[in-house]
Amino acid sequence: MTVDSSTAPTVSSVAASLTKRGHVDVGDGVFRFALNAAAVAVLVILGAIVVLLFKGGFPALKEFGLGFFLSTDWNPVTEHYGAGVMLYGTLITSLIAMVLAFPASLGIALFLTEVAPERFRRPIGTAIQLLAAIPSIIYGMWGFFVVSPLMASTVQPFLTSIFGPIPLIGMLFSGAPVGTGILTAGLILALMIMPFITAMFVEIFTSVPPVLKEAAYGVGATMNEVFRAVTIPYGRTALVGAVMLGLGRALGETMAVTFVIGNANRIAATLYSPGASIASTIANEFPEAGPGSMKLHALLELGFSLFVISFLVLALARALVRNRMEG
Amino acid sequence: MNIELSEMSEQLRQRRAAAIDDGREAATKISIEALDFFYGDSKALHTIDMKIPEKRVTAMIGPSGCGKSTLLRVLNRMYDLYPGQKAVGKVLLDGEDILSPDVPAAALRRRVGMVFQKPTPFPMSIRDNIAFGIKLGERVSKSELDDRIEWSLTKAALWNEVKDRLHSSAVGLSGGQQQRLCIARTVAVKPEVVLLDEPTSALDPISTARIEELIDELKSEFTIVIVTHNMQQAARCSDMTGFFLLGKLIEFGQTSDIFTAPKDERTQDYITGRFG
Amino acid sequence: MKMLDRRLLTDRIVRIVASILALLALVLLAWILWTLVWRGATALSLSVFTEPTMPPGRNGGLANAVVGSLIQVAIGLAIATPIGLLAGTWLAEVGRGRFADAVRFVNDVLLSAPSILIGLFVYELLVKPFAGFSAIAGSAALAVLILPVVVRATEDMLRLVPGSLREAAFALGASHHSVVVHVLWRAARAGIVTGILLAVARAAGETAPLLFTSLGNLGWSFDLDKPMASLPVTIYQYAGSPFDEWVALAWAGALVITVGVLALNILSRVVLAPRGKASK
Repeated sequence: MTVDSSTAPTVSSVAASLTKRGHVDVGDGVFRFALNAAAVAVLVILGAIVVLLFKGGFPALKEFGLGFFLSTDWNPVTEHYGAGVMLYGTLITSLIAMVLAFPASLGIALFLTEVAPERFRRPIGTAIQLLAAIPSIIYGMWGFFVVSPLMASTVQPFLTSIFGPIPLIGMLFSGAPVGTGILTAGLILALMIMPFITAMFVEIFTSVPPVLKEAAYGVGATMNEVFRAVTIPYGRTALVGAVMLGLGRALGETMAVTFVIGNANRIAATLYSPGASIASTIANEFPEAGPGSMKLHALLELGFSLFVISFLVLALARALVRNRMEG
Repeated sequence: MNIELSEMSEQLRQRRAAAIDDGREAATKISIEALDFFYGDSKALHTIDMKIPEKRVTAMIGPSGCGKSTLLRVLNRMYDLYPGQKAVGKVLLDGEDILSPDVPAAALRRRVGMVFQKPTPFPMSIRDNIAFGIKLGERVSKSELDDRIEWSLTKAALWNEVKDRLHSSAVGLSGGQQQRLCIARTVAVKPEVVLLDEPTSALDPISTARIEELIDELKSEFTIVIVTHNMQQAARCSDMTGFFLLGKLIEFGQTSDIFTAPKDERTQDYITGRFG
Repeated sequence: MKMLDRRLLTDRIVRIVASILALLALVLLAWILWTLVWRGATALSLSVFTEPTMPPGRNGGLANAVVGSLIQVAIGLAIATPIGLLAGTWLAEVGRGRFADAVRFVNDVLLSAPSILIGLFVYELLVKPFAGFSAIAGSAALAVLILPVVVRATEDMLRLVPGSLREAAFALGASHHSVVVHVLWRAARAGIVTGILLAVARAAGETAPLLFTSLGNLGWSFDLDKPMASLPVTIYQYAGSPFDEWVALAWAGALVITVGVLALNILSRVVLAPRGKASK
């Protein structure tokens, strides 16, 4: 790496002010160049991702226009590709995951911060965090070999017997209980993001100033009332942000969904129906998409749209969770 | 308070007697001329003029926020690390203006060392803590390095306590030992001036006493400037004392004079504990 | 008093529901681990680690997949760690204002970008224009996954180093790079290592980014220009296969990878634990 003074970065910095008095340490010059280069590298990588995905998918966009996002026809034979089924599958499975994971995470975080005896909090919290570390392919296998048969034999018939007679809602829980499908994918996603959201909730709850809670306890409120009246309102914005970050994860999750969603290019009213998400379609169909084929372009366009969706969700979440509680 | 005061004045009498015995006038090491200091737009020091004598202990006292620490951080240009902080005026070290752009901060700091309020051992071995500073500016052989490490630890009255565990982590030392290690690390570089920023405020009384003894010994070789909250400490270890209030140097003179016969009413109020 | 009774009852119900949910989460962990042990342990034998993958009907193992994973994670780590360390240091030490905010935001986007998109990206960047599927492409994809974690960990940990330590190093006349290299990085070491361990754990279990990059390989290969097997991809291929012995091997691999990933996670907590006390 060569450094000459004309390429020396001009970013305002601690080091710059240290040497602003005309004296430049050669080692510092090289060091600062390396730091700047690494920071720029981070930007360049993301830039390259955006450019390559956009460029790769552009021929599909040109061929099918905006109809690409609405059409539910995905046909390799006629070479007509539409993203409707995958967009629906991605959004509906993520929605199911959020509906299930949000209350569960709320309850578990409450348990870990208020209900559990002090000495159990850390070990139980750690155990739940280990759930977040299990690779997604394991969730996929477990979902496929263990949960799906259980869904087919027990859970889905049970749900049908309860919700089936209700108009409209009953439609969601109708059809053959085959196990793999939208509902199972949503459930597995919920289990995967639950520990992630829980960890952020715990952090938000513990950041509530104790005086506020004590003030509420001081007027005779119960734990439940303090939780509702103080803790939740205090962290409301951050809680929404945490949920959004969880949603971001669910939207892009690949392996677990691929195993259990059933991989069918159709949209049906029932949640038992097999479907496809953007990520599962890319994983499944990629091996059959030769370089330069329209299918590859369509898959890249799918990838680009997934990137845009995740980006928007993350940007919104970040605006809400200012303290960078993720990770 | 009265007992402490009478004890203090006894010490001061002895010190003055000693100074008279010494008989020689110290040369000026650092001359501060019309110094202003700014944190962004707010002015923290107002036209400071001060002559710090060579191989003497100069104490700076005053209530919190009076600017004494700010002044100390000008003397080694520590403020340079923070954008928006600015010193205007002159600070002459042996006649050379250290605020001048031609003086590199790193070079200045090897001549003007600093010990901080809280001990700051680096996360490495005792030996490496001291070697780190030496090796930054000099090429030394291993035996020279060993000699310097022993010399500086002896100077800091720490050698006997750590000579058998030079390779163990410095973080494992007690607070008082850590602070003496930081003093050793500073003197190992052989600076001309040593700045002490409330060096005992985080220590227990016994460790404090040891550091004060140490200051007394170090002044035979180094010019020492100490910022302290503790008036007894200033009276015990310094030759000269400057009293600061709201960013101004109110009074500066022989420590014995400041504590027994202050010229300014505000100095009088402060040292008798009426405020601060 | 009737109202108080109702309030206390509600409180009790909420506590019970929260406890049940937490218990269910623990049951979930136990259930997954038990499934892995039950199905994986039966297929686990020494030959899993000594024999490469083989066609169905012959007693193959997963040795080439395990080694392939190790190689690709190691190369990915070797690429991402220095860049991440430097970029994280830039954020903590040099970057100011809007440009730094932009870098931080972009890093967060990378951190949460779906991993399959990283695979697509590296496919477009390295696989399509050059020699095709290769271990080096797989490693690059893993590097893109690891990088943002290292950046984040480095920045956060450097910010935890007390300012006085930084000043003390500058006060000795140290230049900026020696302050950072010899003092700040050392002080933040435990936290940064923890971040790296967690990143490795994440990368080692990732399947999606490798599908279109290193592809997989049914035999031994140490050629970085050629497709290379990896444990997650092999598990994915075997789990979906119609052969019982392959499915059994997939479970054995799943057990191996989960134990490895969880061990890394627990190790990272151990690394950080004593440091957390010392830094107070």
